[in-house]
Amino acid sequence: MTLWGLATLLSLWVLAWIGPAAAGSVEVVDFRGKTVLLKEPARRIVCLIESALSGLYMLGAADRVVGVSSNIYEGSVRPYYEALDPRIRFKSLPAPGNWDFINVESVVALKPDLVILWAHQTEAIQALENRGIAVFGVFVERFADVHREIEAFGVLTGTEERSRELIRAVAQERQWVDEKLQAATALGRPTVYFMWAQGDLETSGENSTVDELIEMAGGVNAFKHMPQEHVTVHWESVLKADPDLIVMWVNAARDPLHILSDVRWRWVKAVKNKRVHELPDVFTSDLWTLKYPVAVLTLARWLHPQAFHGEDLKGRRRAFLERLYNSAAVARVADHVPLD
Amino acid sequence: MFPWIKRAVVFGFPWPIVVLSVFVGPQDSIAPKEALEWMASMMMGAPAAENADLVRAIVWDIRLPRILLAFCVGGALAASGATLQAVFRNPLVCPYILGLSSGAAFGAAVALAVGFLPVYGSAFLFAMAAVGCSYALGRVGKAVTPVSLVLSGIIVSGIFTALLTIVQFLADPFRLQTIVHWTMGNLHNAEWKRVLDSVPLMGCGGVGMFFLRWRMNVLALGDQEAYAVGVDPEREKITMLIPATLAASAAVAAAGIIGMVGLVVPHMVRMMLGPDNRVGMPACFLFGGAFLVLVDDFSRALTAFELPIGIFTTLVGGPFFIFLLRRFRLGWAV
Repeated sequence: MTLWGLATLLSLWVLAWIGPAAAGSVEVVDFRGKTVLLKEPARRIVCLIESALSGLYMLGAADRVVGVSSNIYEGSVRPYYEALDPRIRFKSLPAPGNWDFINVESVVALKPDLVILWAHQTEAIQALENRGIAVFGVFVERFADVHREIEAFGVLTGTEERSRELIRAVAQERQWVDEKLQAATALGRPTVYFMWAQGDLETSGENSTVDELIEMAGGVNAFKHMPQEHVTVHWESVLKADPDLIVMWVNAARDPLHILSDVRWRWVKAVKNKRVHELPDVFTSDLWTLKYPVAVLTLARWLHPQAFHGEDLKGRRRAFLERLYNSAAVARVADHVPLD
Repeated sequence: MFPWIKRAVVFGFPWPIVVLSVFVGPQDSIAPKEALEWMASMMMGAPAAENADLVRAIVWDIRLPRILLAFCVGGALAASGATLQAVFRNPLVCPYILGLSSGAAFGAAVALAVGFLPVYGSAFLFAMAAVGCSYALGRVGKAVTPVSLVLSGIIVSGIFTALLTIVQFLADPFRLQTIVHWTMGNLHNAEWKRVLDSVPLMGCGGVGMFFLRWRMNVLALGDQEAYAVGVDPEREKITMLIPATLAASAAVAAAGIIGMVGLVVPHMVRMMLGPDNRVGMPACFLFGGAFLVLVDDFSRALTAFELPIGIFTTLVGGPFFIFLLRRFRLGWAV
């Protein structure tokens, strides 16, 4: 037998060993580039990422979730999840970890057939995979990643049709904002400085959901020239950029009044014109779920208020959230959040 | 080299560094000429340039407080390191090794996490607790040996680092981000308020160490010799620890954890001026301050974004210190 013949035979044997995906099995590639294969759509899911959990609730897969991040039980997101799931209201849904720390033993004890973690949590992922548990690693850098994530979850939970419906809803919402902004953006796009909660100089460069958010809202990112997703810039560079508007991520330590009264900011155009805003709420302003058009709409209204004159934006937000979560209760919780 | 030349270098080196730093900035910022023109217009009433507001904001609101804070933090850490080395008669001691930095970091992190405690008070309290624990645990009988002190310091530092991790674990995610960034050590948030809050504390600590510097020479002779000249070494050590801890904890509270300065600068100064603390203490403050300002100048000018200053002090200070160690004698022995 020739060498080529031997190689062909070996390849056929390997293919036969791997075999085609069995009937009913599901297969996706996660954000690590790793194939996640399940014999059937996931029945028991431990999801330790809040944004990914939101995706599962949007898909109507709440009953498959058997473990969540402990962060769900803290802070401003809790009322929303209490509205979505009575087990969270009664604190009966186990929380075997949070965004940073994972108790592998507790995760294993929940007997999940799928665990959803951040893709960079490599040690925890390896520990779980070594125990034969399938792990889907998530990494969201662009809005396209959010879409890719929901499509993958649709496959993994057998809810592909619902995932397509959700993506359609987002596309329609984006189109509505685009149409509203068409005339305003033709006149010009204001420069926006986005400020993360870690500090006044923490912002995002070109390869980020923030950059996309600003673009979609009809502005230009003041640090678009920086390639980093998250970067600490120099004060002097911020003053040189002289943004027209400052938008703050939800911030426990600072609010727009702090910025307006801070002497270091006083020469910036946005401060002179009092155009400093803070996104009102983590859940509704989320940039890592399909809710991102809500943040786009909020920022678009700050940038081009005339484009939305007379529109019932609160009603629109309520309807969109209701459509995403298929829940009037969660939309009602959001009603308590001001538009700005 | 003549001793007076060495003194001239050590005491003269910081001033031009500090002054010239006003003209250093990122590439996309104002040119040195613009800063100079603005200063001329301010001092001599020359006509202001079109972008005078921007130049004023950059020079007065951004660069000056940062340079002053860097100078005081560097000076406080270096003087504190020199004092601790003298008190414990141990060349390996620095605010890091004795747990002072970890204690202060833990105290400041607790204050940041709960939101109602004063950051500087909390940092000072826990820094004192950490140094006190290191000293008490390192005591074998009536003596504190260098090895036992370093070992106890490493353990106390480890405990406070673990406690800091617990604070990070329990903290609200949004406060956590602030704590994590703060512990990395940074000067980019320097502002006049922070300067006014921290410099008096670092100054008090510095003045205290300055007035106690000759007593450090007595302690350097050894406990028995100190007793022989009528000095109670234990009481003196505690008296010296208070200003050293005050200065270093205020520095940590203001700028986070900045490594190397408290260890490297006292040795550099001793290499040049010898072990006499009467000259060494003020030299450490000036040289430490200038060292951190210079390193911060590099960090501001070399990258388009801010990197934690602690990275630069270690990258610049570490190799430079090793070079000096190999090139010259350590200068610890009297």
